[in-house]
Formats: sequence, C-alpha cells, structure tokens
Amino acid sequence: MKHLVKIYVVLLIFIIFVIGFFSFSLHQTQKKLTHNIDTLFIAQAKELSQNIELKLHQEIDHDIYKQLEKHPQLRAKLENTISTMTTSFYKYIYVLYRDVHGDYRFLIDGSKEDKGEFREKFNIAKDKWDIAYQNQEPKLLYQKHLHSLWVTYLDPVVFHGKTEAIIAMDFSTKLPKSIAIATKPFSTTLVYVFLAITLLLFILFYQTFLNFRVKKESITDTLTQIYNRTYLRELLEDFDSEHYQVIMFDIDYFKQVNDTYGHKMGDNILRDLALLIKKEIRENDIFIRFGGEEFLLFVYRKEHDKMFAYNIAQRLRKKIEQTDFIYDEVSIHITVSMGVTCSPERFKMVSSAIKYADEMLYIAKKEGRNQVIHTPKLQKKHQVVEQYLTINEIKDAIEDDRILCHFQAIFNAKTGEIVKYEALVRLRTREGEIVAPVAFLQNIRHTNLYNDMSKKIFDIVFDKIKTHQIAISINMTFSDILNNDIFMLILKEIKAHQACIPFLTIELLEYEALELNDTFVQHIQAIKSYGIHIAIDDFGIGFANYNILQTLPLDTIKIDGSLMKDIDTSSTSFHIVKSIILLADALHIETVAECVHSKDVYTIVNDLGVTYMQGYYLAKPQEYFVKQINDIEKR
Amino acid sequence: MQKFLLLYMIFPLLLSAFTTEYEVKIYDIIFSSFFPKKETIAVWTDNHKQDEILYKLHHVRLTYVMRNADILLIAHSTNIHNDIMKFVTSYKLLQHYKESVVGGFYWKKGRPNIIFLRKNLQKYDINLPTSLSKYIEEAL
Repeated sequence: MKHLVKIYVVLLIFIIFVIGFFSFSLHQTQKKLTHNIDTLFIAQAKELSQNIELKLHQEIDHDIYKQLEKHPQLRAKLENTISTMTTSFYKYIYVLYRDVHGDYRFLIDGSKEDKGEFREKFNIAKDKWDIAYQNQEPKLLYQKHLHSLWVTYLDPVVFHGKTEAIIAMDFSTKLPKSIAIATKPFSTTLVYVFLAITLLLFILFYQTFLNFRVKKESITDTLTQIYNRTYLRELLEDFDSEHYQVIMFDIDYFKQVNDTYGHKMGDNILRDLALLIKKEIRENDIFIRFGGEEFLLFVYRKEHDKMFAYNIAQRLRKKIEQTDFIYDEVSIHITVSMGVTCSPERFKMVSSAIKYADEMLYIAKKEGRNQVIHTPKLQKKHQVVEQYLTINEIKDAIEDDRILCHFQAIFNAKTGEIVKYEALVRLRTREGEIVAPVAFLQNIRHTNLYNDMSKKIFDIVFDKIKTHQIAISINMTFSDILNNDIFMLILKEIKAHQACIPFLTIELLEYEALELNDTFVQHIQAIKSYGIHIAIDDFGIGFANYNILQTLPLDTIKIDGSLMKDIDTSSTSFHIVKSIILLADALHIETVAECVHSKDVYTIVNDLGVTYMQGYYLAKPQEYFVKQINDIEKR
Repeated sequence: MQKFLLLYMIFPLLLSAFTTEYEVKIYDIIFSSFFPKKETIAVWTDNHKQDEILYKLHHVRLTYVMRNADILLIAHSTNIHNDIMKFVTSYKLLQHYKESVVGGFYWKKGRPNIIFLRKNLQKYDINLPTSLSKYIEEAL
C-alpha cells in the first residue's frame, strides 16, 4: 500500500507538472498573441487616426468647433468619410471636443450605430482623456469595466499647437473573443484531460483503498480483530528477526471453558483476551492469532536485551491471571502458558524461532501451565546446567576443533567383554572445561551449526573405528533422521567410510513425540540397507510404543535407565524390564540395560538374560577407551 | 487583455449582471434625489424591460396608471403632455421633452450617460446632491 501511494503521488505530481507546463505554454502563447495584436492594433489605429486628422486639416484650418457648428454639411461629409473606416472590430470612431467646463462633447461621429449628436455630452473617464488632450500624445485605454468594448485609442487633433479635439476609436470585444475562441479548444482540452486524469486517479485510489480493505480483511482474524496466520505467512517472507523476540502462548484448559460455558463464551474470552493484550503491547509489536486459542506475539526490541520478551510475557501472564472475564454475570478466570524465544537471531529461519517458542510453550504446559518458559532448562528437572553456551561460543568450539566424544563401554552380559562404545558428544571450553551436550545442543538444534557439529561427531567416530577397529554407537534424534540435511550427511558419511559400516550403530533417541511417518521409516530403512545397526534408546518409558518394533528394522533395544534405577527395589520396574527382555528375545532383538549403577542391578539384569549392559557401575564415559578386564576386575 | 480573456471565458454572465446592478444603483440614487422625503416613489414606465430593474429598487413602486405616478420613466413615447415629472432613457427623448424632462439616463457607446436639465429641475424644485451636480446641463 505504501508503495502504491508513493507511485500515485509521483504520478500525480508528474501529471500536474505536464498540465502546468501546457497551461503555462498556452498562457505564454496567448500573451504573445495579445502583444502582437496590440502592436498591430496600435499601428493600424495610428494610421487611421492620421488619415482622419489629415482629412480634418484638409477641410478645416482653425477653430474646429465653430467651423463644424456653422457647417452641418461639413459634419455630415466628415462623418461619412469616417464611417467608411469603421468595421466590426473598430466599433466606434468619433471626434470629441472639450468644452469650457472640461466636459467632452461630440463633434463628429462616424459610428454606424449608437451615434452621438453634435454637442452631445459624453460621460467618459475625463482624467484619463485629459492626459492625452493635454500631452498631445496618442493614448491607449483598456476598458475593463465596459462590457462591449475592449480598448479605446485616443489621438489629439492639434491646430496651431493647440489641442482642439480628440479622435477616439473604440475597439469591440470581437477580437479578444476570437482569440479566446481560437485558444479555447486547447484550454478546454487541458481542463478535460486534467479532469479525466483526476477521475482516473480517484478511481485508482478508490480501487487501491478497496484492495487494501480486502487485503486487511484477509489478514485479520474476524473474531479477535488481530492478525491471522495469512498475515504471518506474508510477514515471514521478509522479517527482521534481529529486532523481534517471539512469544507463543495459549489459554490453559480452554477446551474445558468451551465445554462448560459454551463456544459463545469461549469466543468472548478469545476476543477480550486479544483486546487485553492489544492494550498492553506497543504499536511496534506484532500480535497474531496462531490458531484456536494459540497466539503469537513478536515483541519489538531496540536494544539487545535478551530477557525483554520474557519480562513482557511474565507481565502479560500476571495481567491475564488477575483479570476477571465476566459474561452474563459469570466470572471466569483463565491462565495462559507461554513459550519465549529470547534469541531468535540464533535461528536460520524465523519459523525455527517460532517452533522453538512453541517447544517452550509445550514445556510450560507439561510443567504445570500458567508459566513462562524461555529455555529448556526445566525440561529435565534434575539436570543442572551451570550455564548455557552462546551460539558464538559453540561456533568457535566447532571451528577450533574443541568438539570431542566421550565413550562409554557396553558390555556383553554373559562374557563381560566390551562389545561396543556409545559415543557421547562433549565440548571443551577455551578454559579446558568439559561441557555436557545439554549446555549447547538445544541452542543450535535449529541452526546450521547443528549440521556442522553432526559432521564433526561422525568424523571423530569414524576416525576412532578406523584406528581401533571397535564398534561405536552414535546417538541421533528422530528429528535428525527426518531432517533432510542430516539424513543426507549420514548417507554421505556412510558412503565415504564403507569399511567402518560393520562397526557403526545408530541409536535413536526417543524423547520426542514424533509420529513414525513414511519419510522417517524410509530414511531408517535407507540407512539400514547399508548394514548399519539400528538401536532404539530409552525404550520402555516416555514415548515408547510397540508400534516402533513393528515398523522399524531394529537390531537393539536400550531399556530406559529410569527402570534400572529401582529395579532392585520395585517389582513393577522388574516386571517391565523382564517383559521387555522376553519380548525382544521373541523378536530376535538384542537388549541393552542402561544405567547399571550397582552390583545388585548388575546381578538382576544379568539374571533376566539381558544381552548387554552399560552404566557407571561398569564404566564411566571417558575420553579414552577403557580396558574391559582391568576395569571390571577393579570392581 | 489577459484578465479580460479570463473574465470572458470564465464569467460570461458577470458583466451583464454588473450592468444591471449598475443601473439599479444609478436609478436608486437619482430617484432618491428627486424625492428625498418620499418613502415610496410611484413610477410609471412605457418600457417593461425596465421592470426588472425597477423591482429591485426598494423605494420604488411600479404603477400602470400614469396619473398616479410620481415620475414617468419614458423610453419610447413621444406624445406625453402632462405636468408629471419626466425622466427619459435616450438622448433623442431628452431633446424631444427638453422643455419638461428633468433628465435622462442612457448608455452611449457602452458607457453610462446621465444628464439633468437645470431649468426643469428648478421647475420641480429639485436640489441634486453634489455627486450628481456635475451632470447638470444648462441646455441641450
């Protein structure tokens, strides 16, 4: 719209300029024409006047008034002579004298109509005529107040140095009329062109206004009168994520509100909530109804205050919590859960920043609702992270080759031999401190750095396999497998290291609630087709379901560590683990008992017939490969 | 010339309106000068084209009965012989009624011309204001 207005304004200025130019040209032409006519008129009038004066001098030698008073025939003769000179342009030609009172009276009138009689008083602008009379010089008088006359030419008649009469020629308005008629088509055309263009521009403006209105309606949610997802799609095409932080929120237990009070009440709450938020935010902020009871707020920030949106989200949450939504004397209290992306600049795409806020919203919901979450810190309650690394710190670590793997041995339960190692990524800070993946993986999950890190890990693992000829498992999330870039990277690495394939296991981490769609299964099958072992991690808890066993070509199941923690004290955990092992045996799938943290647990899972074991009791993750016999023997 | 062209092109009716207004003003001044004490002046005229102008005069009432008139505004008639005050609208009529007419107002070559005859003004005991005295003629 702004661009269109600019175009229209430029167009209008251009048109006005062109029309102005033509008007000016026409004006100049008329001016020149007028000047030429004036010059021509004066020349002709002068010549006529000289002829009349010559005739008067031929007929009268002195005292013109007395001579003409005495000889009416002479008056008639002279009038006849002068009348031959009158035309439609020279409307009146006559001779006046000035009496003793200074009044002008007719001597001779050659006019064909409206003739003045001898001695008839003639009311004219005496002061102007007197100038010509006294100066004995011709004079041109423009008749601005006389509707049938244009101009009067005055020429004094001098006898022996004394002005005795004055010849007057009145020009009719026919000549200027003819000029006006001649130039009128041009000026009329200009006026019509201007009107047509003005009308056209008006129509264009109106059309633009209508388009704008339709467009506004298409991007506005009809219920809440805030932006809708159509607008969001357009916004994301050219969005400055540097200056906006993202808040995603939805109303807690909104379905219950709808079910209890009806959809009309639900609509009222949505509308009033939107109104409440609109009052609380600034013009620069962008407020969107994302869908249903879910809203998206882009918070504008001038300065790089990371917690700015978080603080706003907290304020909004409290405001909503304290507000009574009253309809038909029914007061309803609602709360909202909010997820915030404080550093959207970390993400390659804004959609990823929105997704991140959505993930945080999900955590806020999961953690009890009516709260604001901006980091995944609370995702795992018992995971304590001192400090999250910034994107730049992680980037530097990748570039400086400070990404490394620790390896935790996996033992054969029967023989006690180490059969493989699980590669666990770590980052070494500039200060030499080893940092766990919880401090950096989440921050780069939706960025290109994640791909770089994945490649780094593959390089480390393949290098270790080549050097030590040992089996190593590498962890991948469901999202990694679905992500085309990571999937292509895996295939590329596999193809480049064919000799390492028998030693490689990919462990699928199962902490995301992802559906096993066709793409995911196809990707796993593609990886499997190279002979790579596929294991599923954390099986038995969380999002695990038996459909995985049916759908994926699994070689190994890693039983979730939470079941191992209390297997020696909880009969439920014991029976779950037992049933998993029995099920896996029946399906010819190997099992790994994770988190074997004590001798009792070691003995129990061994007795249950688990294939492999892993845990701090057996071996901690180390930068080097532990020696199996020595380390077991130590215990 | 330029201004005239503009006036001609944009306001063609302005001048005729101006002429009418001008005449109304002049007749108002003249009749008020003739009858300074009268609230309503009864005017008879033989030119009904003048009616439009006379209707616009606040102190004037048109009459169609000559004997009821305070003044006769003559444009055509040449055979009126009575003592009612006469005012004409041409120089020819002014000459024709020069023994009884108090004056005339007419257009000559596009210009307004006013003439009063002193002896007839005196006959009707009319004292013109200074602004009109310059139009007084001793004789034609």
